[in-house]
Amino acid sequence: MITKEVCCRVLGRAMASGGDFAELFAERSAGHTIHMIDRKVDAANDAITAGAAVRVYKGLRSVMATTVDTSEAGLLRCAQQAADALGQSDAPIDIVLKERIFGDIHPVRIVPSSVSNGEKVEILKDAYFAAMDYHEAVRQVSASLGDTDRQILIANTEGLYTTDRQIRTRIALSAVAQIGSESQTGTFNPGSRMGLEMFETVDPKSVGIRAAKQAVTMAGAGYCPAGVMPVAIAGGFGGVIFHEACAHSLEATFVAYGRSQFAGKLGQQIANPKVTAIDDGTIPNGWGSVNIDDEGHPSQRNVLIEKGILKSYMIDRMGGRRLGMTPTGNSRRQSYAYTPTSRMTNTFIAPGEDADEDIIGSIDYGLYAKEMGGGSVNTVTGEFNFAVDEGYIIRNGKICEPVRGACLVGEGRKILMDIDMVGKGLEMGQGMCGSSSGAIPTSVGQPLIRVSSITVGGR
Amino acid sequence: MEEFKKKIAEKCAEMGISEYEIYYEIGESASVKVFQQEVNQFTSSVEGGVCFRCLMNGRMGYASTESLDPALAPALVERAVDNASVLECDDPVLLGEGGQTYAPLERQLYDLPDTQSLIAGALALQKAVYAADSGVVDGTTSQCLREKSEIGIWNSKGLDLRYVNQLAGYIVAAVVSDGAEKANDAQIRLGQLDTIDVPALAAKAAGEAREKLGGQGVATGAYPVVFSPKAMAELLNTFSGVFSAEAAQKGLSALTGKEGQTIGASLLTIMDDPFHPDNPMPMPFDSEGSPTSRKAVVEGGVLKTLLHNLKTARKAGITTTGNAAKAGYKASIGVRPFTMYIAAGDSTVDAVLRQANQGIYIDALHGTHAGTDTVSGDFSIQSTGYLIENGEKTNRIKGFTVAGNFFEVLKNITAVADDVQLPMALGKTAFGSPTVLVDGLSIAGE
Repeated sequence: MITKEVCCRVLGRAMASGGDFAELFAERSAGHTIHMIDRKVDAANDAITAGAAVRVYKGLRSVMATTVDTSEAGLLRCAQQAADALGQSDAPIDIVLKERIFGDIHPVRIVPSSVSNGEKVEILKDAYFAAMDYHEAVRQVSASLGDTDRQILIANTEGLYTTDRQIRTRIALSAVAQIGSESQTGTFNPGSRMGLEMFETVDPKSVGIRAAKQAVTMAGAGYCPAGVMPVAIAGGFGGVIFHEACAHSLEATFVAYGRSQFAGKLGQQIANPKVTAIDDGTIPNGWGSVNIDDEGHPSQRNVLIEKGILKSYMIDRMGGRRLGMTPTGNSRRQSYAYTPTSRMTNTFIAPGEDADEDIIGSIDYGLYAKEMGGGSVNTVTGEFNFAVDEGYIIRNGKICEPVRGACLVGEGRKILMDIDMVGKGLEMGQGMCGSSSGAIPTSVGQPLIRVSSITVGGR
Repeated sequence: MEEFKKKIAEKCAEMGISEYEIYYEIGESASVKVFQQEVNQFTSSVEGGVCFRCLMNGRMGYASTESLDPALAPALVERAVDNASVLECDDPVLLGEGGQTYAPLERQLYDLPDTQSLIAGALALQKAVYAADSGVVDGTTSQCLREKSEIGIWNSKGLDLRYVNQLAGYIVAAVVSDGAEKANDAQIRLGQLDTIDVPALAAKAAGEAREKLGGQGVATGAYPVVFSPKAMAELLNTFSGVFSAEAAQKGLSALTGKEGQTIGASLLTIMDDPFHPDNPMPMPFDSEGSPTSRKAVVEGGVLKTLLHNLKTARKAGITTTGNAAKAGYKASIGVRPFTMYIAAGDSTVDAVLRQANQGIYIDALHGTHAGTDTVSGDFSIQSTGYLIENGEKTNRIKGFTVAGNFFEVLKNITAVADDVQLPMALGKTAFGSPTVLVDGLSIAGE
């Protein structure tokens, strides 16, 4: 661990050319993955990510240099490089660091590195063979069990000196089922910000079964019809609709740089009054939770939209400077090698008052999107898309036959207004979100919702 | 490095490991980003690390680290051995042999730009974008970058390879507003900075963004679809995994056992070329140290070969195609193309549009990581483009999807133009295509 004294010297060097703020971020992350395919363990891999980044601000300019050499000499070289890039000036400064301990609200009982490979393989096999043996149509399964132990240290010229340790565990199942000549894939990838005790609440077998069941259901399904129709989107990973249609556009990294359709809309109605949406990095053991963000701000619960009114953006330090707003604990980076920026943590549509049966019952003809895949958005235009991995036709208020191969596309501002029914039961789903600061773990979530009209990309 | 290798060799000898390998990647990059005509971000990164793998009881264990501290070498070996101990897979595991011959690369190395040149370049590009169109607004960024990476492989079978790749170039993201609506576009140009036409690049980005303003919906239905080079390259990229012998051998590709068979239209030829002049990072050897080679994957609609590494080739009883790949130095060995592209046909773009007559022109696909199933080949993807009426591109259309099946697309290609492009190449893997006409795809719109 880098001492306060070394941090002081590194920050002092970083400020040597007249920066007004400097930060040292150091990281040592250990990741371990075991993979199975063809009924056998075919890969076990572990990797250490270790390095540091020095950032210096001067007004709205930001400079970052990174290094894999975390000795004092290496850090000083890195700081010098950052300072040099900013320009020349001599402004001696005093830096006093005060250690801060923000506490850990994410208890970890079984630290993954303390568990043998053999025990991890057993968990993985439980899931694997539950998928393989689920149905005769399942002809291939691949699965992985991964854990990461991320230790970070942040020191900055505002006097902060703090650390955090973030342990996450995730299991990922992918099953292929074939019925006749039709092959389809089913997946389920739950994760948690905890150790291997995750599998005391998440039964590995049920993970395998869920992936296999989806593959078998979809292999027997016809194609989803195409066109504009009402869609009921299930809870859990269904929350990807809010993640893509709106939440990315509320990140300062887009708002502060003229790339969001929701810039300048605070206090205005941007969504249906049924919609209240929250980004909450403080959910204990939540997949996207952090004690502190990657700039050392404590994580927060931020109400983004309340009854359709835009209340808050998600803001990092530089985004805050540009917007004249306070950071919200949302600054994140995949690793030291990425410049951190405003990102989501656990983002969800809050429970509403509609009964699930009323939502389904209200649709004469439409789609029930039960399981969703990933998506993307162009924040400038608000055009977004996401995949429906498991869908069903709704006819006369009843869920009918399964359909495959659908995606949903729309424009954020319009779709937010069209979320006109919100159910009561919140569920969360876990994913990896990719953006300029890399791939980071985030949760999405919602209860069952209805979108009154959206383009369904079928065939 | 030498000290690190020595410690690894000592530890392996001590543990009775006779086959082992070190693979390393070290990358240095610098980038300057300009926003509102001012430099707002400078990044200088050093990244990289080493992956150790070794054979223990016939199985290959891996472990990686970013630190080349010789004191940590023994622990790296121990971790790899521990990882090998849980493996059950009986696939052949092979390390590359020393003494192979590699194609000389005809490339011209140039001096990489210094930081001042990056700053000047990014500012000039930003100025040029604003000058290109009066509708260019905030949100427009320009970037100038340089990258240098070294890859090395050293193993117990005499392999000792080292190769340095480099690139420099510009990235521009233009946002154009007509007062009511905004649209955006991004372009990349790589090469020696002073050989790149900055005003032309800026005009391209601003022009493409302006083209995207407005647009109408399109009626749901089946249409002939013309894919732009960019859109088709993206589709090929998304489904390129189906040409992996590894996927085929695991039953995860519909091309299993199809070598020598017709899988596409006779107009279709797909190449993989590690030395393609537009690939910014040509490679003489793959991630196992095998020589890379230019080859037809599909020729005249016939599947000539899948892409192989040492393991998949041994299982298939052939020699590797030199397509072993790692997704970063930490990853296990897999399979990947280098520069995969659909070869030029003999039609002009105009002729392809005339042949489509009434249809849809797709200029870009969005979010292809979702809505695609590489096992079945099914896709449903958000798209943008134009109507084709009487053989000409007419109204801008948006808010629709194109759905179909990749393997059907290969068969239903009815025209291939002569305008091959590699639009977004940035790194060792690139995809390209000419303008291509595909019959009978489903469009979901209004």
